[in-house]
Amino acid sequence: MKMGISDLIIAAVILSGACYLLYHSLWKKKGHCCGSGCDGCSKK
Amino acid sequence: MSSRTAVKEQQAPVTETATQRGTLRPVEKRTLTIAVAGNPNAGKSTLINAIAGSRLHVGNWPGVTVEKKEASFDYEGTRIRLVDLPGTYSLSPYTQEEIIARDYLVDERPDLILNVVDSTNLERNLYLTVQLMELGIPVVMALNIYDEAQSKGYRIDVAGMEKMLGIKVIPTSATKKSGLDQLLITAVATMEDLSAHVPHQLNYGEDIETATDFMAGILHHSHPALLERYPKRWLLLKLVEGDSNVRQTTNLNDEAQLGEALQHLKRAHGEDLEAVLAEVRYSLATGLTREVLQKPELPKTEITEKIDRIVLHRVFGIPIFLGAMWIMFKLTFDLSKPFADWIGAMISGPFKHWAEALLGLIHAPDWTVSLVTDGVIAGTGNVLVFVPMIFAMMFFITFLEGSGYMARAAFVMDRAMHSIGLHGKSFIPMLLGFGCNVPAIYATRTLENPRDKALTALLVPLMSCGARLPVYVVFIGAFFPTRGGTVLWSLYVMGILLAIMMGFIFKKTLFRGDAPMFIMELPPYRVPSLKSLMIHTWEKGKHFLVKAGTYILAVSIMVWFLLNLPWGVEHKRDSYLGQVGAVVAPALAPLGFGNWEASSSLIAGLVAKEIVVGTMGEIYVKKEAEKVAQKPTFIEDLQETGSGLAKAFREAGTNISSTFGISSISADEDAAKTAERSPLREELKKQFTPLAAYAFLVFVLLYMPCVVAAAAMVHEFGTWKWYGVAFGYQMVLAWSAAAIIYQGGRLLGLGG
Repeated sequence: MKMGISDLIIAAVILSGACYLLYHSLWKKKGHCCGSGCDGCSKK
Repeated sequence: MSSRTAVKEQQAPVTETATQRGTLRPVEKRTLTIAVAGNPNAGKSTLINAIAGSRLHVGNWPGVTVEKKEASFDYEGTRIRLVDLPGTYSLSPYTQEEIIARDYLVDERPDLILNVVDSTNLERNLYLTVQLMELGIPVVMALNIYDEAQSKGYRIDVAGMEKMLGIKVIPTSATKKSGLDQLLITAVATMEDLSAHVPHQLNYGEDIETATDFMAGILHHSHPALLERYPKRWLLLKLVEGDSNVRQTTNLNDEAQLGEALQHLKRAHGEDLEAVLAEVRYSLATGLTREVLQKPELPKTEITEKIDRIVLHRVFGIPIFLGAMWIMFKLTFDLSKPFADWIGAMISGPFKHWAEALLGLIHAPDWTVSLVTDGVIAGTGNVLVFVPMIFAMMFFITFLEGSGYMARAAFVMDRAMHSIGLHGKSFIPMLLGFGCNVPAIYATRTLENPRDKALTALLVPLMSCGARLPVYVVFIGAFFPTRGGTVLWSLYVMGILLAIMMGFIFKKTLFRGDAPMFIMELPPYRVPSLKSLMIHTWEKGKHFLVKAGTYILAVSIMVWFLLNLPWGVEHKRDSYLGQVGAVVAPALAPLGFGNWEASSSLIAGLVAKEIVVGTMGEIYVKKEAEKVAQKPTFIEDLQETGSGLAKAFREAGTNISSTFGISSISADEDAAKTAERSPLREELKKQFTPLAAYAFLVFVLLYMPCVVAAAAMVHEFGTWKWYGVAFGYQMVLAWSAAAIIYQGGRLLGLGG
């Protein structure tokens, strides 16, 4: 199975999205923890 | 609350009138900041939740709120901001909760203090009230848990309290939402007429009062800015007490700056003036309680005491705790397994078919179909399967918290904790760790000294969090279907025992010193309301759903690429992930699972432990399309979904009613059907022996904390040091424990 240019572009977009999601959820949102040290979870 | 609805209705005409008059300025709303302060477990968070409809975490044990939280809402044209302060017994500077509460009240100066008082523990609560009244901020008292006090036969003279304290006192019951309207009306009214609501000041006796007057005169000339910045009476009393924090902040370290008055007091009353002031405050609290509270003459032995005689028994306390845990895991497993099986069947059946059909409709490239079905659905889906179990466990943990038993668990573990240089209070963050290690690490801030905090945080990751549950359940389903609850229980107990063992080792090495004294308040037993249980179960469990939709999804996609790169790789073993797994695998061979599949899954699981199962789902996935000659139709899929759910309900009901007949239904079912429904389990049976599977579970229990826990440790301690220690010791412990189990088991002839 060979990858064409369009496949490469789609793969790059998907991987970039996954990397962003990982970075955003783990570092920006601190893993979405609902612990006392997190903002947002407990606020109305 | 009805009042809030009414407010919105009233606001509309006001805006309309303003517009009609041609006023361009928006209608301004007053904002009233109310600090909610009180003893631990007096019901502050419950009260705020009841008033503002927020979802602050509550539990029937002290120390649930470890930092201030807020909730805002509109009331009678006023924007009210409620600030939930951590529960404190006093405003001394000894614990982090006290410091957080005190700093907020002194530095932020809220408009009003709402002092939440536990009516069933009046005397102890009033000690804090007296201190709050010294801050020069208007105080309104919510005499909470009033219904319980009444049912015990307590008679409280509310009017008498108001007269003696000079503040408004409103009986409330946060759980029954009674008295809340009156409380809000009183709070707003107090703010509108401050002069009529000045709290009375406690007289500390002629000596102290004269000394504070004298010191006030000195400060007026030498440090006028301090008297502006801080509540005057509070500042003077803190200086008399010798409060080190206040002296440091105000640069009044030298007693000579405060004149002869302080020296005179010390000569007359001894060096410990803090104790003298505390005694006066206690006397007032005691005297006031005697005046306003009438208890029944011959109190019956209360139900709480009766239960405590059993559950706090010196000999039976720990076995009862272990038994309670066993029942919890058994019920979790019995109740949720049929639903987990149903979700698993749906994900590997209809959902997969529908995704394939959808991608076929839009003519997506073939490899994206594989990415979605073998990557996203197999990876994320295998984690979602266990959502029912996670919610069931969170439900039972919330029940134990709300009932008051968790505080007893900490109490009965006190002796064991002392052996490792900690006290029972440290066990509370560890118990929280059963839900998720991250809030448990943050909860270590309830501990008084940095040594206790660091040691407890190091031990928290040994508590088996909900994220590890999917791994346990998939292996238990494959290898120990008839003893699921017991195997699950053994893993949790092993976590506790190893935490005690490691604590003992740390005490002898990194944390030498005596265990501090421990006084733990034991709250009365309460039956948590179903609504509260549901809300807090959701609050705890939704975290896992969010994780599945975010970083578990992201890692599933990455793992799929790593399993398919270099592009066109024939065997997953030759992929990038397979190659890395193969490098690590020999190190795991003595543990019984030295194959690249297991090691690759463990590497991916470093992000979050559920990902171990997701990655296994991706690695072991078979190409269904090649095996199944004819796919079911959409209608057939829908029928399967409906009938499967009905069957799950039936099985759950049967499992619970026949209690302890765990998973027998699933175990008895046709082997071929089981294999079809749970392909991952069937693959695991080919790769692991039961002994190796148990060793694998122990390794997953113990190996390094996930990256989110790492971030929490760094955030809480401001250094990577403690995470480094946790990482190192857990890897060694995980390897050693799994090796002992596997090699020991082989020697004992338990299989290979």
